[in-house]
Amino acid sequence: MNIPDVFSDIDPISQSDGPEPACAITYTPEFVEAHDYLRAVLKADERSERAFALTTICLKFNPANYTCWHFRRRCLVSLCTPTDSDARATVDVERIDTDLEFADKLGGTNPKNYQLWYHRRALLEIRFKGDERIQVAQKELGYVDKILGDDNKNYHAWSHRQWIIRTINQPQLWSAEIEYSHSKILLDPRNNSAWNQRWFATHEGEIAANSGMKLGKLSFEKAEEEANYAVCGAQVDPFNESPWRYLIGVLMEQCRWVQREEGADDKDKVNGLLRDCVAKIKDMNDSPTEDYPAGPCVSLMSALVDLLETVGDKTSLEEAKNMMGELVVEDPVRRKYWHKRQSTVLVLLGKVSE
Amino acid sequence: MTSETAAPVGPFYDALHANYIVTLGDKLDSPTSYEGAVTEHLRVSGVYWSLAALALLRTEGEVDDLMGLTKPIQAATDGTDENKIRSAIVDWVFQCYDARVGGFGGNCSGENPHDAHLLYTLSALQVLAISNSLDDERLDKDAIANYVSSLQNEDGSFSGDEWGEIDTRFTYIAFSCLALLGKLPLPDWNNSNSTQVVSEEKPIIDTYKAVKYIMSCRNFDGGFGCVPGAESHAGQVFTCVGALSIAQSLHLLEDADLLSWWLAERQCDSGGLNGRPEKQADVCYSWWILSALSILGRVDWINTGKLGQFILNCQDDEDGGIADRPMDMPDVYHTFFGLCGLSLIGQLEKIGNKEGQNYRQIDPVFALPTDVVSRLGLKAQVIRNGGVDVEKRLQLHSILDI
Ligand SMILES: [Zn+2]
Repeated sequence: MNIPDVFSDIDPISQSDGPEPACAITYTPEFVEAHDYLRAVLKADERSERAFALTTICLKFNPANYTCWHFRRRCLVSLCTPTDSDARATVDVERIDTDLEFADKLGGTNPKNYQLWYHRRALLEIRFKGDERIQVAQKELGYVDKILGDDNKNYHAWSHRQWIIRTINQPQLWSAEIEYSHSKILLDPRNNSAWNQRWFATHEGEIAANSGMKLGKLSFEKAEEEANYAVCGAQVDPFNESPWRYLIGVLMEQCRWVQREEGADDKDKVNGLLRDCVAKIKDMNDSPTEDYPAGPCVSLMSALVDLLETVGDKTSLEEAKNMMGELVVEDPVRRKYWHKRQSTVLVLLGKVSE
Repeated sequence: MTSETAAPVGPFYDALHANYIVTLGDKLDSPTSYEGAVTEHLRVSGVYWSLAALALLRTEGEVDDLMGLTKPIQAATDGTDENKIRSAIVDWVFQCYDARVGGFGGNCSGENPHDAHLLYTLSALQVLAISNSLDDERLDKDAIANYVSSLQNEDGSFSGDEWGEIDTRFTYIAFSCLALLGKLPLPDWNNSNSTQVVSEEKPIIDTYKAVKYIMSCRNFDGGFGCVPGAESHAGQVFTCVGALSIAQSLHLLEDADLLSWWLAERQCDSGGLNGRPEKQADVCYSWWILSALSILGRVDWINTGKLGQFILNCQDDEDGGIADRPMDMPDVYHTFFGLCGLSLIGQLEKIGNKEGQNYRQIDPVFALPTDVVSRLGLKAQVIRNGGVDVEKRLQLHSILDI
């Protein structure tokens, strides 16, 4: 597009560079020309096809220009929505989908620029209406999957998935997301973002399913499943921090809850699960698999001492104390920390012995 | 056996770093330079990082002379203009102020400020704080406070600008801005669980709701994310813990041990810290993690000696500056956060500058030199862990025993 020709009726507004040399910024002539005309159409709030095309040019120069993205959406909404009285029914969805593709292309395979994600979100809010919204959501989840295929820890991408699933809030999407996180964990068990997504999908999914009873925690049955899932993940690679954190998270959530709710039926069940996990982890510690280097595994040991302390009887506390002694040696980077933990466990031991 | 807190081995390039920061100011002025191009839209933040970094190495007067903080200075030139004078940084900062909205842009073009953003508003106020100019008559404190207030959402969260990105970072920034302006209403946890009402007027922001929002971003691993449900990230941990500290609300952090352990596990074998599990160590996390651990009273949970060594290994021994990791190109952002890291583990003092004087110290809550924080009378909150003495630098804050 030859900008001056297309906008021959418009006076470009140039950036007024004052006398201050500290602020002088040089751009290419093409950049300057496009932005001079953009300032003019912005000022006139001209929501036309040519203004829309101009935003395309400017965004290709600078995809982080949020003023330009915002104006592009203004243009798009005006152009998609007929001005007659029953505008509501006839949003040009194809055009919105085309713009999603534009944002996709501009972002490339690893979009980290927030504006691109925000643009998608604003467009999808228009598209998440009516019966086809689940389909639209699934298509968008497919797009995010493509991005995560390139960078499986892209923070914006995972947040975008969460936003889609929360916004649609359908049981099928919640359960599919648990499966999705599982597939990403299988591909890379050390992908902490995928473990976080599993927590999100199991927890918020359960809250969404029982909208009447927001306990803010998993049911005991679900917690048992998730604890076993984490133990399996830890068995695959005990040096992986993620399943251990997940396991502690699941178990502590249950423990805290039964502590708060006096006489809760689940108390014995939770204690049983806790002891069961401790037994399994001890087994792992005593007979490591051949796939991994022999010798101590700090992630495993630190999870084990946490759980032993939570069990809290004399034998468990003794075991925790001994293991902390080993950690002082085996985890030299955090030696001081383990010394501290030793002194706290001694206090606990003193209390149970009284 | 080496001690965890031993001073690191190897030189600290005080003069090179100071020179790197001072000459960077001129490179930033030159849009054709790499540094000028990448930082153009966030110049105000770049200026803050430079000034704050230099402030840790030099006295207030020296910083002013070297950088032209409150008075114009002769700019180093590329040979085209011998007598190029650079206007005072404080004057330039005021040119970045957008009076229509009450916030600062990241830069200005001539007389015109770029679009205002919360990020740049804090950087601008931090620059003014360092240069002792918060009482400058050009600073419209009420307008800025109203701008910050306008960015609070119904759920208590803050957006960074009028286009709406939400992030726990912005809550920290909002609190910090209002604290610097002396306008942050504190929640009254003893009473009605609501933001303290000082007068009949409605408080400028709902701090209580904002704090509740922060807590809704807490995760199962003890850390915090950008928004509820988002993965824990060390940068977000700092902003959330920092926000709770400024709002005197650290008592809400049940299980500070779980969070601190998550932070301690960020230390890699190299001694450096990473931001999330399985990510590479990076100097800037020395700041995000150490500042949080300082506020939580648990810096000694990591091996500070090894961390100091890692930071020193990231110095550029020819041109000065600190990079994100050894052998990389230095930049001002990592230079500032690397110096902060050395300061927070007490090693900058041990190294001592060439005159044998102590370096100025960084405050882990406000990311400003402690002398500036105390001059402004800012009071956040820190945790005393298990009766261990609170570091001297933190004693200007109120102390929470848990
Ligand atoms: Zn970094």
